[in-house]
Amino acid sequence: MRLILHRLGLYAITAWVAITVNFLLPRLMPGNPIQTMIGKLQSNVTPAEVRSIQLSFGGSLHSGLVHQYVTYLDQMVHGNLGVSITLSSPVSTILRGAVPWTVGLIGISTVLSFFIGTIAGALLGWTRGSRLDALIPTATFFQAVPYFFLGTVMLMIFGSELHWFPQLGAYSLNVSPSWTWAFVASALRYGELPMISIVLSSIAGWILGMRNMMITMVAEDFVLMSVAMGLPRRRVIWTAARNAILPSIANLSLAIGLVVSGALLVELVFNYPGVGDLLLNAVENEDYPLIQGIFLVITLAVLAANFIADMVYFALDPRTRTEAQS
Amino acid sequence: MSTDAVEQVVADEATSPESIATAAPTPVLQLQDFCVDYGVGARAVRAVDRVNLRVDRSKVLGVAGESGSGKSTLVYGFTRLLRAPAVISGGSALFTAGPSREDSGEELIDLVGADEATLRRLRWTQISVVLQSALNALNPVVRVGTLFDAVYRAHRSDMSRAERRARSVELLSLVGLNEDRLQRFPHELSGGQRQRIMIALALALDPSLVIMDEPTTALDVVTQREILNKLAELRARFGFAMIFITHDLSLLVELADEIVVMYAGRLVERARARDLYESPRHPYTLGLLNSFPPMHGARHELTGIPGSPPDLSQLPSGCAFQPRCPYAMDRCAREQPPLAPLDEAGRYVACWLHVAGEHATVPVELRRAAPSSRDGGSGA
Repeated sequence: MRLILHRLGLYAITAWVAITVNFLLPRLMPGNPIQTMIGKLQSNVTPAEVRSIQLSFGGSLHSGLVHQYVTYLDQMVHGNLGVSITLSSPVSTILRGAVPWTVGLIGISTVLSFFIGTIAGALLGWTRGSRLDALIPTATFFQAVPYFFLGTVMLMIFGSELHWFPQLGAYSLNVSPSWTWAFVASALRYGELPMISIVLSSIAGWILGMRNMMITMVAEDFVLMSVAMGLPRRRVIWTAARNAILPSIANLSLAIGLVVSGALLVELVFNYPGVGDLLLNAVENEDYPLIQGIFLVITLAVLAANFIADMVYFALDPRTRTEAQS
Repeated sequence: MSTDAVEQVVADEATSPESIATAAPTPVLQLQDFCVDYGVGARAVRAVDRVNLRVDRSKVLGVAGESGSGKSTLVYGFTRLLRAPAVISGGSALFTAGPSREDSGEELIDLVGADEATLRRLRWTQISVVLQSALNALNPVVRVGTLFDAVYRAHRSDMSRAERRARSVELLSLVGLNEDRLQRFPHELSGGQRQRIMIALALALDPSLVIMDEPTTALDVVTQREILNKLAELRARFGFAMIFITHDLSLLVELADEIVVMYAGRLVERARARDLYESPRHPYTLGLLNSFPPMHGARHELTGIPGSPPDLSQLPSGCAFQPRCPYAMDRCAREQPPLAPLDEAGRYVACWLHVAGEHATVPVELRRAAPSSRDGGSGA
């Protein structure tokens, strides 16, 4: 427990540093971003918008940096991330609309890819040298093909030609977003093809990582011991896999952390309303409040994922517990 | 040593291959022309070459030799724990499965031909193994108690949770450990404690044969001594047979009833422990003995063996030891000496020096009187 609190403290400090950098970056850039924005908006600027821009950067332009910083933190704690210039609505509202789509699609795909890949890798590692090894080049092929190409080809074949999957968007235009069965079913149906494409393109890493660790573990004495002890085959494989999975868990935490930032190419190819798409538009339009808001969410997500991964690691590998305590 | 009690019943049966089947003491294990190759086909390398040996019930067989002499391959071979590319390429390994609790009556099983189910039934209930490095041999992410539980679950599914725990506590106390160790992870224990746990684990199901693969090599001498004493005590109490692998002959002589010396995958000498120690007959055995300080007795200069063990894929012609042997003769490079009986005491040696008519005089250091012929074979 003390260990968890200690970790939590470390993460709090990291989060604070990240937030501060997020606050400082626009201020360190050459020129004045606020003037640039107002300039870009030309005659369309309303006093409310000027105020919103100022607020998003910490209030009045003429107050000191420290005052701006305090205001920024205060606004952030209250969930106020400013107002997007291009979309003219609060950043928090925009994010609430985009993040669930990205987390749903990329998150589920990443977890699926991890599970399928890791299980396949464990079996391939165990049956090393068997015919199953032929799976590996196939999997690496899909990872080696540039994603935009793979995605486009899949969309063309399975969407346009064969009509197996609906194309473009996150849900049918006949339903509106709500927690109804019709909508959820539609969202799942629209998510299938992007999900398959993501799993296909990312699974090789999981397979190879797990297979290699598994091969290393199978050569370990404690696996030999579990054979010598006459444990059932499933127990023996589990003994090896249980130890082999640790590096994959670390990689999963990194992958999960990056889920929120979205898979830009996936969202572009499938016209999916996620964070990646949003970030691209925000950068193109120099929409600073939105960029800052997205960065903040990504940072916090990465930190949260790392924290969870740490906890999982503590639970799975007793050796990390003593090391962290000493 | 407390092994004396057991040694009193040493029967001096001649253990020539022909008489093995009818010899009076029950053999737990008999290897006949046992061979292990690494790889198959033309490029196969023979790591264990036509080994014949037997281990009698409640006896200790020592296996000595340098690294790479094939001693570990031999035991992993007949226990069927070898991994590719190693394959058993010939011979048999007859194991007498002792009367277990439920089904009484003995059962003779050839381990070489045994299927997975049979092997799994024998493993740990009849044959258990202690590996050299207990740190590597204990699953790092599992508590000690869970390791014990895994063994009971696999073989004694009728044991209740309380019975399993009671048995684990009993086993730990046997090796002098407190029951709180059950809650520990392997990395939280010292090297000696880990090896004790390995030994306790090996005895969990009362096996009739325990294989010790250099169990003390990774430990400091003090811990080594403690473990050996503990082993002797446990053996006197439970009477399991043991195969003890080491490169330290002086350690074996106190523990083993019989010792075999391996070189390049073959047995070069086989004798009762005391005989082998006091009066080695093979030049390689002599070299090994001169490489280690004796546990007791007068000091003498350690000489070691010149050169290094041969590459098994390019064995020298004739006797494999011949290039390193100070007594090598012409014939040694031409013909491989067979492991032949030397005297009535059940001693075997594979060396041309001891073949009559081949050499006028056997070097004096290789014909010292054996203790058994001096004092009637009382062992220690």
